This record gives sequence, structure tokens and C-alpha cells, in this order.
Amino acid sequence: MAFAESQNPLRVHRIQQSRYIDAVRWLSPVSPSDRFAAIAYFDADTNSPSIEIAYVDPNPQSSSPTLTPQSSWTSPSRISSLRTAHSTPQPLLAAATFSGSLHILASDLINGGVMESEATVSELGFHSGPVSAVDLREGGTECVSVGEDGRVNLVSFVGDSSKLNYRRIFDSNGLVGYTAVKWASPSEFATGGYGFGIQWWDQRTPGGPVLQFKGNWCQGKTSGIVHSIDIHPSRKHTCLAGGSSGTVFAWDRRAAQQPIVLSGAGTGEAPNSLLSESEVWEVQYDRYTRRSNIGNISSTRILPVMICSEDGILAVIEQGEEPLELLAEPCAINSFDIDRQNPSNVICSLEWESLAILTRS
Amino acid sequence: MPGVSSDSARGALVPLSPESPGAVVYPLRHGLKSPISRLSISWSRGNSLRVSVFAAPSSDGSVNDGDGGKVVEVKLGGGDGEISEAHWRRIAYGSVSPFALLQSRKNAVSSLSKMSMNSSPYDGDWWDYIMEYSKDINALLVNQKSASVPVLDDTKSVITKGEEPTSLKAAWELLEMFYAEKPSHSWLPERLVDWLADYDSLFSGTHPTVHSKLVDFQKEFVNLQVVEDDPKYWEVMSSALAVGWLNIVVKMLRLHGSYQLDQLSNRETENGLVEAVAVLISKMPRMRLEQEAGKLGECYKAKPDFVKAWEKWRGQINKLDSSAFWFQCAHQQTREGLRSMLQIMLGNANSLCSATYNWIELYISHFLYMRPLTVGLESMYSLAQKSIQLKPMASAHRLMGLIIGILGENTEVVLAECLKGFGPWMVAHAIELLTAGSDHAEMLLHEERQNLGGISIEELHRLVYAQVLSSFPLTWQIAPIYLISCMKHGMILLQILLSKQPVQDNQLLLKRIEICRLYELHSVTSNIMKIAGVHHWKHGRKGSGVFWLQQARDEYRLNRIALQLFDSVGKTISDESFKQWEGLIQLLGSDSKTAGGLEFLHKYRDFKKSLRQIHDGKATDPARQAVESLISLMKNPSTPQRFWLPLLYDSLKLLNWKERPLLNVSQTNLLLNKLQELSMARLRPDFIESELPPQALNSVRLALGTNLGRAILEE
Repeated sequence: MAFAESQNPLRVHRIQQSRYIDAVRWLSPVSPSDRFAAIAYFDADTNSPSIEIAYVDPNPQSSSPTLTPQSSWTSPSRISSLRTAHSTPQPLLAAATFSGSLHILASDLINGGVMESEATVSELGFHSGPVSAVDLREGGTECVSVGEDGRVNLVSFVGDSSKLNYRRIFDSNGLVGYTAVKWASPSEFATGGYGFGIQWWDQRTPGGPVLQFKGNWCQGKTSGIVHSIDIHPSRKHTCLAGGSSGTVFAWDRRAAQQPIVLSGAGTGEAPNSLLSESEVWEVQYDRYTRRSNIGNISSTRILPVMICSEDGILAVIEQGEEPLELLAEPCAINSFDIDRQNPSNVICSLEWESLAILTRS
Repeated sequence: MPGVSSDSARGALVPLSPESPGAVVYPLRHGLKSPISRLSISWSRGNSLRVSVFAAPSSDGSVNDGDGGKVVEVKLGGGDGEISEAHWRRIAYGSVSPFALLQSRKNAVSSLSKMSMNSSPYDGDWWDYIMEYSKDINALLVNQKSASVPVLDDTKSVITKGEEPTSLKAAWELLEMFYAEKPSHSWLPERLVDWLADYDSLFSGTHPTVHSKLVDFQKEFVNLQVVEDDPKYWEVMSSALAVGWLNIVVKMLRLHGSYQLDQLSNRETENGLVEAVAVLISKMPRMRLEQEAGKLGECYKAKPDFVKAWEKWRGQINKLDSSAFWFQCAHQQTREGLRSMLQIMLGNANSLCSATYNWIELYISHFLYMRPLTVGLESMYSLAQKSIQLKPMASAHRLMGLIIGILGENTEVVLAECLKGFGPWMVAHAIELLTAGSDHAEMLLHEERQNLGGISIEELHRLVYAQVLSSFPLTWQIAPIYLISCMKHGMILLQILLSKQPVQDNQLLLKRIEICRLYELHSVTSNIMKIAGVHHWKHGRKGSGVFWLQQARDEYRLNRIALQLFDSVGKTISDESFKQWEGLIQLLGSDSKTAGGLEFLHKYRDFKKSLRQIHDGKATDPARQAVESLISLMKNPSTPQRFWLPLLYDSLKLLNWKERPLLNVSQTNLLLNKLQELSMARLRPDFIESELPPQALNSVRLALGTNLGRAILEE
């Protein structure tokens, strides 16, 4: 396994939070030097969940970055999924909760990061049980939410109404549960669930998923759950997914039902690519690359991927290469986010009530 | 168990122990209007009690708001006042890695020493390991609260404010210096001097201390014009000198008025005396390994060098004491103050006693000025006893108890003091230091005891600490690290811990399964999966339920829920809802072993699919496929009987296929036999009638009969 430290300088700063962190996301900055992050906390002492906007001072005089809370919003329940849309200067946040509600928040980064709840859906029929994942459409006014109850809801928010309208796209009545969702285009999105299954949806073709990736490809081996999906804007035909047993795979919709396994289950023949054996909680395409242009990479090749796992690994995987380990923590890394504007910055949340901020240079 | 006291009407929970005067009353805000009839108390998470309060039903039978009951949680105690719960958790998280590392090194060392019989396990790197462990733990105990306070470089500030010390860190450092540092007991007295300099303020809460006197003086000092006129100035300096805070004393001496330029000329002798004392203080010989940069005093490593310097220094003090210059010093306070400081430096017992405020300070001053060559715990202990006799006190600080225990070389007392004063975390981690170098302590703590159920004291304390960790929602995940280091009961308690966690949260469930995987607890894994499966199933998340039961390879439950699924299949799998089922059937896969009775669904789906393709009644190939599926379904024992008739009824158009009979004679006979079996079964009381038109059976029978005739003719 290759370690990042030996190859290129990597600065890691761990910041104790004294609260459990359910999710963490970067917010798109107003100016190039600013860094803001949205952090979903859970205070176990007072049993109170909240979302805070914090100013991350990337290069203060002291050696470590500091986190300055700007504003806070109290959530009715713990946050199960948090996504941000990159619009400035008022980035939008979509927060889904374990009690089955969805909240759209807007934060004004120019005026001190004040956060306001724009709209909420918390009706009884929205989701039964927790919302397992939500995704905001980039620059758009829609988000999609999925749950293990088998419901796929499309929530659109326009104008000033504080009550959100939602449309049920599909309801499997619990026969199929969904655990991850990601927009691919204004009308298409992908969901993931049990048995490493991925579903492809197109709003123009209602009534169910238009394509299904069979979950039983790892026959005979332990099956698992997809925890996270990512789709690269330039490679919409490929769904990247991460899940149980250290599994990271890509499904090319143009190809057959055979996945491209980057790590974990099904890679029996290449044991050295086994990065982790536990849950891969999040996957994202790593836009930070030393190569000049991703256009040069063949379209059949999977772009570099960053993952975080239950056994404390934060790593970058490139197809056919040794994974590059950025962090090996004694506790789980539950979520991370790569800064869209400046992909050398990564923020991740650790199980032991702390955040880590990485700067690659 | 506490009961309802007489004043329960006011809603207070009072423990029934009238003999204990310090009973704590926790008011309950349950908001019930009617009188309370019943109270039930159980442990909740962590230090919380869950109290269920039941109201008495109102006498007139009417139902009011606030009737019924309420469940409230009562948080007991604040724990340790100086360390917040969040800080405790931080310490708990941080100590996992050092603890685990030390355990694995211990195992490596002991297996190595088993291989080479003669070598002692505590050689070479062993002390480095112990020290590394101790330093790692010590680093966690830094109080971050005030670490960022800037240190003011004010000429008028006597004591600088750094990080706020905690008793926990002070206690750990005591253990470290006595047990972890490679035994070099000749430096211990000087280490204690440094320790007190860092932590004297901790005693200020309960006892008068030099530190608190200094703080008080500091406040007044800002407003003083002529400092040397204030008797407190001299008093405080003598005290600081007695406990060896040389830098502070010299700094204070140089604030003496005679140093001021306008007074220098007419107070020349006085100033000379002050400066002479200051120089003597800064030249004090110390027997220690090293001296921090900027600290006053001259340090000597070898005893003969030290003794020589010490004698010389004492000679200089004596010389100054008997000098004639004192008569020329006009300022009375200065004269008396300086000479009493000289008495302290000469080790005058009475001066030391009056300059210090508690026995530890007196003890330290004895090391510094009377017995700088004290070596060995025995003599240190007897000196401590003597100091306590000279300065007895009503209540002992928890650190004082610990010091006495350590000096008395009584491992049990040390453990008891650690537990009483600092809780289970301290004991579980301190044991590593206690056993590090002492065979006696190791035997004592590792011996299996009948009265503890066959476990050792070490295991007992680890189990207790693991239990504490387990009771909090954020720390239970680190309890396994401690449990697996317990040979006797660790594994079984780990299994219990993992089994009793809630299943609602998927992420937590997976984290639990991950722990099971690490420790190869496969049976626990499969139990957890079964519980999760049933939980999801019961809450309508059928797909999740089936997934977990499949993972657990629980065929029994899969078959049971298959029966329930079939009920809904009969009604819903018709046409539009087919997509709902598609995902579940895909999840089941074609591996019938893990699908249990649900294998039927898979085949039924294939059958339905081919049936739908032949809706026009012409395509022969799909029709043939449909017949294949039908026959294999009817042959398969896993196909429930109640589906026989609906299957056959669905296949009517196959049976009545226009072009030619699709089923041959034997196939038709098979279906006829099944139909016959079905007719017999209808007579049984537990038969479930399908929701089909009443003539269904007859039309199927007729179709089969016709088909049989056509098939015979064809053959």
C-alpha cells in the first residue's frame, strides 16, 4: 500500500468537536480565500441535533486551521443525509432526518453565514421511517429523497413557499429499500440499495426504474449494501458506488451486467487491491489530480476515486494502480467532502467526535 | 430502591436513607396534575435513571389532560467537576490506541520470553514501551480549556497563567514518576518539587497553599507603592522559597524598593543585602538530572559534587547571616525578612514549618533544605509521616491520599485511591504502570481470586471500565478493546454488549457487525442480522428484512415470511405492481439456498413474464417457455399449494392453445393429479381458498380434459 506522506506533502489537522458529527460538507466560497463548511452535529449530552455553518480559516498564523462557528440551526431530529448545492453567495443545503423529514436551508455567507430554514417537508406520508439519502440537483430547484421504506420522492422548491411540494416517483411498498441517491442529469438519477443493486431512473419514463443493475454479481460471496453513489458530470454513463466489505465498483450502463470492481468483494484474484474489508461509507470522484487533463484519460477508464471507511481509511483509488492512503485513523471515518473549488482540500468526520481537514499540495 | 416519600405530592424523589445526611434530592418535573400512584425506576443510558411516573386515575372517572403517566430521565451527579463529560470522552477515545499498543507489545514480549526461558520479560525496550504509553496517556489529560490563554509578560505579575492544571493529570504524573520512569529513585525528591510547583494550586480549593497566598498577594501587589513595607511581601517570598520556587522569589526580591534608581544611593547596603540573598538563591545547588532552561539553581548529577557544592553554599549563607552589614540596614522589614529567608535556606525546622501551609509543602521544603539526599521510598514515607504529624489536617485531598499510598508502597491503597478519587478510567489504565516494574504488584493484580469469581483484580477493573463505556451511546464502541484484554469474562461480556445494542439505526448496526467481524463472533453476527431482519420486516421494509435474513442464512424465518409474502403476491403481483416486485426478486437472486421458500417468487416471476409476452395468443415460442415454467413450478415442492389453482387458472390460454396442444400427455396428467390433490385438500379445515371466480376449478378441469384429449390424438 502506498502512503501519501512519502510521495507528496499532506497536511492533516484534527479538530476536536465534543459532539458527534453526522455529516460534513464544504460550502462553495464567496471569495477564493474563504472556506465554509456545513456540519451536522449531534450533542449526546443534551440529545440535540443541529447544523452549523463554520468558517474554516485555512491558513491562520498558527499551524493548524481553526473552525469558527457562524450560525446554527436546530434540527428536529438527527441528520441522516446532508447535501449542498454550489450556488453563491447563498448556498443551499438539503438535510434529511431520521424522523423522515426534509429541510431546505439557505445560508448567506456574505452576511455572517446566517442560516435560515427555507422550507420543510415533514408530513406523515413523505417517508415512513428515516430518509436514508437525499441529493440536491446542481444549481436547480429540485431534490430527490429515498428511504428504506421504498419511496422515491421528488421535492421541488420554488419561490417563497415555506411548504415544500413533493411528488412520489415510485413506491415499492418496502419490497425494495433504497440507501443512496445521486443526480446524473436534470431528469436522471441513480439509486442504490441492498444486495449491491443500482437503479437508474429517468423522470421522462415514469413508473419505475428504467434500468437495473443486478445486485447479485458477487455470487457466493457476502452481499452488501450500497452506501454512496457518485456520477461524474463528464461520464454520465458510469455510476460509481461504495458499500459493504470494502467494495467500490463502477457500473457502466452501456456495458452488460458486469461491474468494474475497484476494491473489495469480487477481487479475489488481486488481493493487493483490498484496501479495506469494512463498510465504505462514502465515495466521490477525486477532482484533485496531478495529471494535466482528465480528458486524456480514456472514457472506459474509471477516474480517480476517494473513499472513506469504517476501519478509518481515507484513500484515493485509481483503476489498476496501488491505492493511495491519505489517512489511517484508529476510528471510523464516517463522511468526507472534497472542496469543489479547491480540490486539494478535504474535510472528513471521524467517529471519535472530531473533524479532520486535509490539505494536499 | 428509593421509594415514594411522604412528600411525593410535591414530586421529589428522595432516597430512603435517613441515616445519611448528605442525601441528594433530584426534583422531578413530570408535570402530572393528579397524585402519583406508582413509580418505576430503571437505569437508562450512562448516569441517567429512567423514572416512570404513573398517576392515580381520577376518582370521578373523568379523563383529564395530564392523566396517565410520564417517563422522565434523571441525570445523576455531575461526575468530576473539573473534567466535562465531553473531555472524559476525549480521554476515553485517546487512550484506546496507547492501551491497545501496550497490550500487543506485552503479548509479544511475553511470548518472546517464553521462547528464551532465561531472559526476564522486563528488559531492554520494555521501559521505553511503558514510558511511551504513559506519555501518550499524559498528553491526553491536558486541559484544553485554558491552553490558549496568552502568557502575560508583565513585570508586575509574579505568577504566570498557563494551562489550568487538573487533579487527574497531577495524579497520572505521580504514577508516572514513581512507576514508569526507569527506577531512578535518587531523583524522586526533586521530581516531587517540580510536581508541586505545577500542581500546588489544586490544593487551594480545600487547603491554604503557597499558591493561593501568592495569588492573593498578586492582587494587592498592583496597588502597592512601597512593597517592602508590606509584611505579606516577605511572608509570601519565604513561603515560595520554602517550596523551591526560586525564580518567583528572585523576581519578587528584585521588585524591592532599593533597586529603584532614585533610592539606590541612600539604600546601598540594604540593596546589597537583597541582591546577595537573590544571588545565593539563584545559586542553590540541586541534585537533579537536568534543569529546565531559565530555571534558577545549579544542578549536580553526582552525589560527591553536590555535597561539596551544598556545603560551600551553606557556608556562604552562614557567612552572610553573621555578617555585620545587617546592623547597617535601616529598613527593619527588609532586615527581618531577608534573615528569615536565610533561616529557610539553612533548613531551620521552625521557619520551614511556619512558611508552609500544608503537609505536602512542608514535606517538599524538607527535601529542599533539610534532607536533600533522601533516597528510597521507605525514608520518603517516614518523612511524609513526620510532615503529616507537624501539619495535620481535617480532610485529605484525593491527591494526598494517593501520595501516601504510593510512598507506603501499598498497591491496594493506590488502586483504591485511584478508584475513589479518579474513577474507573484511571484504575484501568494505571494498573499498567503499577505492574510495570514490580513483581509483587504484578502477582497481586494478576492473581485469580475466588472472591472475584475467578478473575484477577486487573481484569475486574478493566471489566468495570468497559461496563462504564458500554453504558454511553458514544463510547460503547471502544469497550471491546478493553473486553478482549480480559481473559476470563471478556469475550462473553463482549457478546452480550454487541447483542443488546438497538437495531433501529442502520449505520450503527453495520458498525456492530464490523466489530463482530474483527473478533470473529460469527454467531453473534448472525443473531444480530436475524434481529435486524425481523425488525425491518415488522416495520414494512420487506426488502431490507429479506436481505438481512438472507445474510444470516436463516431459512426458517425466510420460509415463514415467504408465506406472508405469498398472501400479498396473490393480490398484487398482477400487472402494474410488477415493478415493485422486480427489485425484491432480483435481491433474492437465483441461489435458492439463501432464498428459502422465496425461490418460488423467482420462478413465478419468470412464468408471469412469459405469460405476458403471449397476450396476443399467437407467439408460440414464449408460450412454450411459459409451459416449461408452469410445469417446473407445479413440480417444485416449494410452490405453495394455494398457488396451484391460480397458476392453472392463469394458464387457461395455454391449455386452450388454438394451433395445437402445448402440453403433452404426461404433463397434462401431472397437472390433473395436482388438481385432484387440490380437490382433496379443499376438504381439510385449514385450506385457504383463493380469490378466484367460483367456476375457476371447473374451467381448469375442463381445459385440462380437452388438452389431454388433443394431446393423446397428437401422439
